[in-house]
Amino acid sequence: MNLYKKAILLLLIAVVGIQFMPTTRNQSNEVYETDFTKTLIVPNNVQNLLKNSCYDCHSNNTNYPWYNLIQPVSWFLENHIKEGKKELNFNEFGAYSIRMQKSKLKSVINQIKENKMPLPTYALIHKDAKLSEADKELLIRWMNKLKDSL
Amino acid sequence: MKNSIYAVAFAILFLSACKNESKQAESNDMNSKEIQEEKTIEATSQKSDLTSAIIDGYLVLKNALVNEDGKKAADGGKMMLTAFSNFDMAKLTESQHTKYMEIAESAKEHAEHIIKNPIDHQREHFEDLSKDVNDLIALVGTDKTLYQDFCPMASNNKGAIWLSETEEINNPYFGSKMLKCGSVQKQIN
Repeated sequence: MNLYKKAILLLLIAVVGIQFMPTTRNQSNEVYETDFTKTLIVPNNVQNLLKNSCYDCHSNNTNYPWYNLIQPVSWFLENHIKEGKKELNFNEFGAYSIRMQKSKLKSVINQIKENKMPLPTYALIHKDAKLSEADKELLIRWMNKLKDSL
Repeated sequence: MKNSIYAVAFAILFLSACKNESKQAESNDMNSKEIQEEKTIEATSQKSDLTSAIIDGYLVLKNALVNEDGKKAADGGKMMLTAFSNFDMAKLTESQHTKYMEIAESAKEHAEHIIKNPIDHQREHFEDLSKDVNDLIALVGTDKTLYQDFCPMASNNKGAIWLSETEEINNPYFGSKMLKCGSVQKQIN
């Protein structure tokens, strides 16, 4: 019993303690000349879909939810964002080689088609990030056309 | 009984579909060949052993996909990564250098994905990786005899190429499901 209490107390201290650990926030006010929407002609409806459903993890600017202030949620998100940006960063898209741009577009199309992106867990919390069937069709058709034109 | 009739009907439909597509592909062959040649920098068959280790890794990967062996495919991907990091860029001319960097950057990324993913996803990345290796050979050359093969049904019926060390068709995109689907487009060396 005593041990049990000690364990609970320790856990409590740990949970409170980690709240003070610093985190890096993925936010910047910079305007990126290499942004996807700057180097390519992207219609507004596509831009909106991308910003709502992809940019949180695939750009240098995340629109954070309130619960990001709580650890260990923060760490969890930080990792996701880091991974996401490594795979694809829309802010830097224009700096990719044409070969890379085509290959990234193809991956985006496949990920959307297979419902792998936006991540189901992310879409569960961010209701407005979920792509409807019509959204998916629009994005896929537009991106296929773009890919062939590059 | 009914089920088996359906099965036979389906099989016939499926087989004839594949036939039609490969016929269609033949007529499209000219087009896709033209496009591919347009993209390659200099369509030569230079003899060079600079690319040998990269191609060896690629062939391990390709044969693993033919045999539906995702683990072995990942090994091929690892071999390719090592080969790219050991590649002697000093032997390239200045004009080859930039193009090589683009190809290598892309190929390495595909190899990384192949290393850590299941076979369906490996095949997706194998499509673009094959293009990269093909372009690399056009750029730098090889001393191996290779065959550029084409499967009209890969990549959601858009068609995709791969390279093989044998003249016989063994399809890495479908493996045992459609082992013989495809045709030789070009012989290298």
